[in-house]
Formats: sequence, C-alpha cells, structure tokens
Amino acid sequence: MTAFWRRNSSGLITVFLLLPALAGFFGLFFYPMLLTVILSFRPEGQVAGWTLENYVRFLSDPDGRWVILLTFILAVGSTALSIVLSVPLALILREKVRGHRFYRLIVLVPLVIPGLIGALGLLLFWGVRGWFNLFLTQFVPFVTRPMAVNYTIHGLIMFYVWLYFPYTCVTTLSSLESLDRSIEEAGAVSGATRWQVLRHIVLPLITPGILAGSVLTFMAAFGAFSVPLIAGGNYRPLSVEIYKEISVPIPARWSAASAIAVVMGGLQVIFLSLYMRSVRRAGGAGGSR
Amino acid sequence: MRFARAYIRGLWDGRMILGYTLLLSLTVFIVVPFLMIALRSVGKGWFGRLWLPPQLTLDWYRWAVEVGNIPEVMKNTLIIGIIATAISTVIGIFAGWAFGRRQMPGKEVAMAIVLLPRMIPPITYALGVAKTFYTLELVDTYLGVALAHVSVCAPYAILVLSATFEGLDERVLEAADVCGANTLKRFFYVVLPLIMPGILASMIFTFTHSYNEFTLTLLTYGPHTVTLPVRTYLAVGDGYWEITSAMAVIMVIPSLVILAMIQRRAEPEKLVGGFKGV
Repeated sequence: MTAFWRRNSSGLITVFLLLPALAGFFGLFFYPMLLTVILSFRPEGQVAGWTLENYVRFLSDPDGRWVILLTFILAVGSTALSIVLSVPLALILREKVRGHRFYRLIVLVPLVIPGLIGALGLLLFWGVRGWFNLFLTQFVPFVTRPMAVNYTIHGLIMFYVWLYFPYTCVTTLSSLESLDRSIEEAGAVSGATRWQVLRHIVLPLITPGILAGSVLTFMAAFGAFSVPLIAGGNYRPLSVEIYKEISVPIPARWSAASAIAVVMGGLQVIFLSLYMRSVRRAGGAGGSR
Repeated sequence: MRFARAYIRGLWDGRMILGYTLLLSLTVFIVVPFLMIALRSVGKGWFGRLWLPPQLTLDWYRWAVEVGNIPEVMKNTLIIGIIATAISTVIGIFAGWAFGRRQMPGKEVAMAIVLLPRMIPPITYALGVAKTFYTLELVDTYLGVALAHVSVCAPYAILVLSATFEGLDERVLEAADVCGANTLKRFFYVVLPLIMPGILASMIFTFTHSYNEFTLTLLTYGPHTVTLPVRTYLAVGDGYWEITSAMAVIMVIPSLVILAMIQRRAEPEKLVGGFKGV
C-alpha cells in the first residue's frame, strides 16, 4: 500500500492503473473503428472478399462530393462565426461588467443541454410562423414575406453557432483572464492608445487560446449529428448521410455507411493535424501564453 | 479610407453601448428558443400570425407522459447515465492517477491515444460499436447502451481527473507524513478531501454527456432502452411539435440543475475540456 503512493515504484502498477482505460479504448473505440474500416472494404452484405467499390461509388458520385463540401462549409462557417462572436464577448466579459456572472452562465447553456432540444427551439423561433418572422413582417418596413431560415445552409450554420460557440468563447475567456494585466499597462504607459493595446498586444497574445478553442468548435461542428438530422432538411452532411445509409434502405447498407464513415474520420484527422500545425505556428509567432 | 477610419473610431467610442447590445442580443439569441419551447408546450390552437398562444393547456404534458411514456424513459436515462458515470469514473480515476501522478515512458503518446476518441466524430465508430454489440447481444440492454456512452464519457473523465491529480501538491502529502499520519489516515484526511471536488466535477460532466448523448444511443438502443434524447427525436419524426416541446421541457430541467451545480462547484473550462499538447 505504501508503494502505491510512492511515485517511482514499479511500472507494473502503472500498467495496472492504465488497464481499464486501455480495455475501454480497445474494446469501445479501436476494435469498432477497425471493424468499420474492414467493413468498408467488404462487398455489400457479404462477410468475405475485398473491394474498393464502396469508396469509388461514394467519391465518384457528384452528390457524395457535395456532401463532403457541405460538411466543410458548415464546419468552417460556424467556426469562423464563433470566433467573430466570441472575441468581443470575451473582451466584454473580462471587464466584469454588471451582471457578468449571468452572461457567463448564459454562454454555458448550449453546452449542457441536449443538441436536439436546442435545434427544436431554434426551429420554432426561426420558422415561418416563429417570432423572428413575425417581427420581420410586422415591424420591419418593406418586408412582407417571411424569410426562410430553417432548412437552409445559412440557417444551419447559425444553429451550429448557437450550439458550438461556447467552446471557443470559454477557451478565449480563460486565456484572456490568464493574461498578465501588467503587459497591457506597460503598453499603455508607453503611449499606446487602448485600441493599439488591443490590436498589437492583447489579440496576438490570446490568438493561441482562440485557435485552440476554435478547434473544439470545429470538431463538434464537423461531427454534428443531431442538429442536421432534424434541422438540416435536404442539406445532409456526412454524419447524416452515414445514418441514412443504415436506416433508410432495407437491408441496411453497412458497407456503404462504413466507407463514408472512414472518409469522414480520415478528413477530420487530416484537417485537424493541418489546423494544429497552423495553431502551433500562430502560437510561435504570437509569443507564449 | 479616412471615412472607414472615422467609422471604426466611432464604433470604438461607442463600445459601451455596442457591448451591452451584444450581450443583450446574445441573451435573446440563446434564451428565446427555450421560451418558444415552453410556450409551445402549454399552448393550444397556436396557428397563424400570433405572438402568443390563444389558450393555455397542460394536455401536451399529459400526452407526453401517457403516450410518450416519459417516466419509463426517464428511468432508462437515469439508469444508463449512472452506469456510464460509474464505469467512466473508475476508468478515469485509475488512468488519471497514472497520467497525473506517475512517471512512465511515452506518457504523451499514451494520453493522446486514450483521448483519440474525442478527435474522431462519434458517428464513425458508432457504426462499429453497433455492429459489435449486435454480435455480443448487448444492443437494447442497459449495460450495452451505457458502455457505448463510456466510449464518449471516459476520455472526459480521464482529462479532468488527471488534471486534478496533477494539481495535488506533493508538499501537502509530505507534511501529512511529517505530522505522523499513516497511509490510511493520509488518504482519508488529506488526499480524499483534496481530490473530491475534481471527482465530483468529473462525475457531473460525464453524467451530462451521457444524459445528452444521442449518436451512440441511436445506434444501440432498442424498445426497452429508449432514452430521453432518442424519445425526443422519435417524437420529432412523428411531427407532433407540441408533445415534443412538452418532452423537451421535462428533459431540459435536469440539465439546468446540472448547470447551476457546475456554476457553483466547478470551473467551466473543465466542461469544455481544452486540449493539452495535442
């Protein structure tokens, strides 16, 4: 028992401690992933044989390429908008304005509620008969027709922002708050205006934090499933396309779904590693946190 | 150019008003959807261009409870959530202790591997999980659905707990030793109170994840293990918006309670689970 607490005891205990995590990892992630990869190379509905047909069919289909493009448009668009929304918000909340605790709580709301509920409420609010269009048609001059928001690309991007911007915002806020105020004071003493301090000191210093948070938003938006499933309409990103393959046709097309899943996972990993590299570069250029 | 500069300067001068406008519109943007759900769930005959429902009713809740079978669904969700939280916490405590307190070769690599499920969209391995569970006959059992949730929840628990254990101050432990505490005493009077907030935070977060988990549940659920998100999704598919809204209200209340707990007890950054060294 004493050995248990000592740091440099045998590596056996470390292995023992890691055992449940590794069992979970291999049983619940690695093996299923491997199975998906194998399945994607099997002819549809068979247990033996190898083929590339599933990939060829998905990637050569214009619809398939559109699905990939759409997924990227949604993920990149919502990530960019989240950054645009989060940076001013974090700058305001840092100043401890009146009621800042309440606003901090508000920012966290989309994180803890199920995505489906958020999508449902947004659909009700932005719908043709929802409050947004009531306001538009009754109070805004020259607008007589309701604006289509639900089941459009821009609507979907906005729903994504609603649901996933807290990742960026919370990370930006925490890196802002860990920033040493004396650096800014030094800038101000040296004769920089507040705008110059913000532009040349604060923003470069928190860029790594912003980018690290936006990675989380991007990952969530790229893999989003529940929101586009009920609020996407005819716009189906990769995740929904995968689910459609195993839920709509009878019998379910597991191999086709697996091929799309492998493409999706691969794209995510490639994009993430590129993004991480640029984050590191930005971190190197912007100084340390 | 001069005009643009003057414009930006004007914006900068009016930043107080702009700031409050931003905060206010953000609050509206985030809160109003819930208001819509709440109104829809008690409204009757709310068609056409009306701002508020003309009649109020609690019928939709009755329908949700009777037809939607909400008590049963709630029971399923809680049981699955508790199992998933228990398994994830055990995994998280063991692995977190190894990552946070012990030296080992290739720690970064091991950590990256264990956290890998967070980098891949859940739907991609959910397919494999579903296939595996079909062969193991784990589909439509509490344990099966909970295990599927563990694949999402455990990385969070590991992340939060390894940070907690890493923050445990070695000097405090030494001080306990110097003051003559034996291992058991030290564990119960020094270590446990120090790590308990972290463990609680991890449990709250994993439970939240399990409670909200939709993707993996949708691929592994069955008639006996319908959880609240799946039930809501099925109701959306049926097209009864009022009943769906009533279910959503029932479902969102525990989430808000959890949010209050998080605000009180833990730092929100942990909920986000920022990346370290990836």
